[in-house]
Amino acid sequence: MSESPGIRTATLDVPRTAPLGRLLAAEVRWVLRRPRTLVMLGLFALIQVLIAIGVAVTDRRAGPGRGLIGAVAGNGLVLPVVAMTVALALLLPLAVAMAAADAIAGEAASGTLRGLLLAPVGRLRLVGMKAFGVLVVAVAAVLALAVVGVLAGLIVVGGAGGQLVTLSGTTLGFGEALGRVAIVAVWTVGQLAAVGAVALAVSAWTEHPLVVLAAVLGGLIVFGVLGAIPALEWLQPYLLTSGWSAGVDALRDPLPLAGMLDATGRALCYVVVGAAATVARMLRRDA
Amino acid sequence: MTLAVSRDLGTAAVAARVAGLRKVFGSTVAVGDADGQAGIDLDIPDGAVLGMLGPNGSGKTTLIRMLLGLTQPTAGDVELLGRPMPESAAAVLPYVGALVEGPGFHPFLSGRENLRRVAATEPLLATRAIPAAVDTALERVGLGPAADRRFRGYSLGMKQRLGLASALLLPRRLVVLDEPTNGLDPAGTRDVRGIIAELHAGGATVVVSSHLLTEVEATCTHVAVLQSGSLIAEGELRGLLDADATGLVVTTPDADLAVATLRAADIGAYRDDADEPAVVVPAGDAPEVIALLVRAGVAVQEARRRRPGLEELFARLTEGTP
Repeated sequence: MSESPGIRTATLDVPRTAPLGRLLAAEVRWVLRRPRTLVMLGLFALIQVLIAIGVAVTDRRAGPGRGLIGAVAGNGLVLPVVAMTVALALLLPLAVAMAAADAIAGEAASGTLRGLLLAPVGRLRLVGMKAFGVLVVAVAAVLALAVVGVLAGLIVVGGAGGQLVTLSGTTLGFGEALGRVAIVAVWTVGQLAAVGAVALAVSAWTEHPLVVLAAVLGGLIVFGVLGAIPALEWLQPYLLTSGWSAGVDALRDPLPLAGMLDATGRALCYVVVGAAATVARMLRRDA
Repeated sequence: MTLAVSRDLGTAAVAARVAGLRKVFGSTVAVGDADGQAGIDLDIPDGAVLGMLGPNGSGKTTLIRMLLGLTQPTAGDVELLGRPMPESAAAVLPYVGALVEGPGFHPFLSGRENLRRVAATEPLLATRAIPAAVDTALERVGLGPAADRRFRGYSLGMKQRLGLASALLLPRRLVVLDEPTNGLDPAGTRDVRGIIAELHAGGATVVVSSHLLTEVEATCTHVAVLQSGSLIAEGELRGLLDADATGLVVTTPDADLAVATLRAADIGAYRDDADEPAVVVPAGDAPEVIALLVRAGVAVQEARRRRPGLEELFARLTEGTP
């Protein structure tokens, strides 16, 4: 293959695509340059600071009957774990759904999906590129919660000498406490990957970004309602949301892994289904 | 279908070809014969500048979209640079630049950043060559000064120019431009004409759809006229216009005498003094007409075949009057 300056030449019979690394880098740059992504990450950081301040203020008139948030009082390193668990109920899935909505439906709406297919970015690669972008948003959101949570917890709330008092009453050192935060962060990203895969599939099947947000929000609410009906208890193992409280397990000692592993397995099934639906659609989608 | 598929790029005689192509959306036939099952057959010769004409809704964009593999045909075959589409999209599309259905870009990025994102997806562009290619393309469409402004603030013409730039990021074998002069001022229109001429001179094939007939007449070597999804005329522009050239224009100072003479011989004629005194003979055998006039003592300064403009041809074709 001859190479003239800058422009590669090849025969017409060789399928060509841009280097995968370059595609992924372009996607990440696009995702992180988007104003709403940045606003969202900023809000996540802000929420942490606000919770920390709230806890520090109420702590002065501390009384009995404190809930999960109350467990943060005087025990700053609990903050990131609690925040990730609480945010997983709605805020984080919404952030991921927004990214997924922009990823395919949004690109179709702004007429740029056409450009990607004409370049061409292969249709399978396009799905990979988009999934990577959504995953980056999930990781960034969780990181914002975890990192700002640790900092706000230590600085505003104040830890017990950099230690974490578990729900079981034992005390973990700083290093181990950070480890627990990291475990919850990784686990949370896994759950968000499931949400993202399903949201991306919806995004692939529609031209309207709002449909993706509505589907994810509606889905979460329906799952919540179904999970709360005792007669439908047999449904529990199939509902993605039913394992979402397992993150708090990280605050127990010794660490019970069963709940988190269970939820991770469930998330994996959702990822597979979502990915299959996305690929099936994107292979034939008009743009 | 037996299509001669040339093995290498340089000798492809046909840049694009569709055969029996139909597209039906629900009960609406977008491309193809509305009544029967017939589709469109069209060959676009290598190196041609094909003007695709037709009223709104005649199927131009749908045809272009099927050509590029963006829409699946209901029936028929598409071949691009000698390869079947959409199967060979990954091999062929890198050599094809396109501006389809208006420019699509992200409002929160500048023109340059938008173009870099497009460049990152171009298979034939080496990573180190991207900044230079982007700068060159921006200059070429005259967007240099506005390159770092956000796309959100671009005027319609600037958006259109950026769309052109993305189609021209690297040398192409085929460039497809769907209504490229939309929203452009006269200077922009002239620029597009210049770009098309450059591409043509460089050996590229250009497909341009437009509703500006003078535009097409000025830049195209070939035309394809669509109406209600059917191809009602196609071929070399000169040939089409010549074939339509019936009748004679006789320039003479004795126009009144000429008309009287011809009418007396049962040959229709009328005065048309638009440029200079002249007589138009819509249907008439040239030697016979000239002999008649000379015998009647009419001073014939010039006699030429009447060649209607594209506008007249187009109007006649799409209005269905023979």
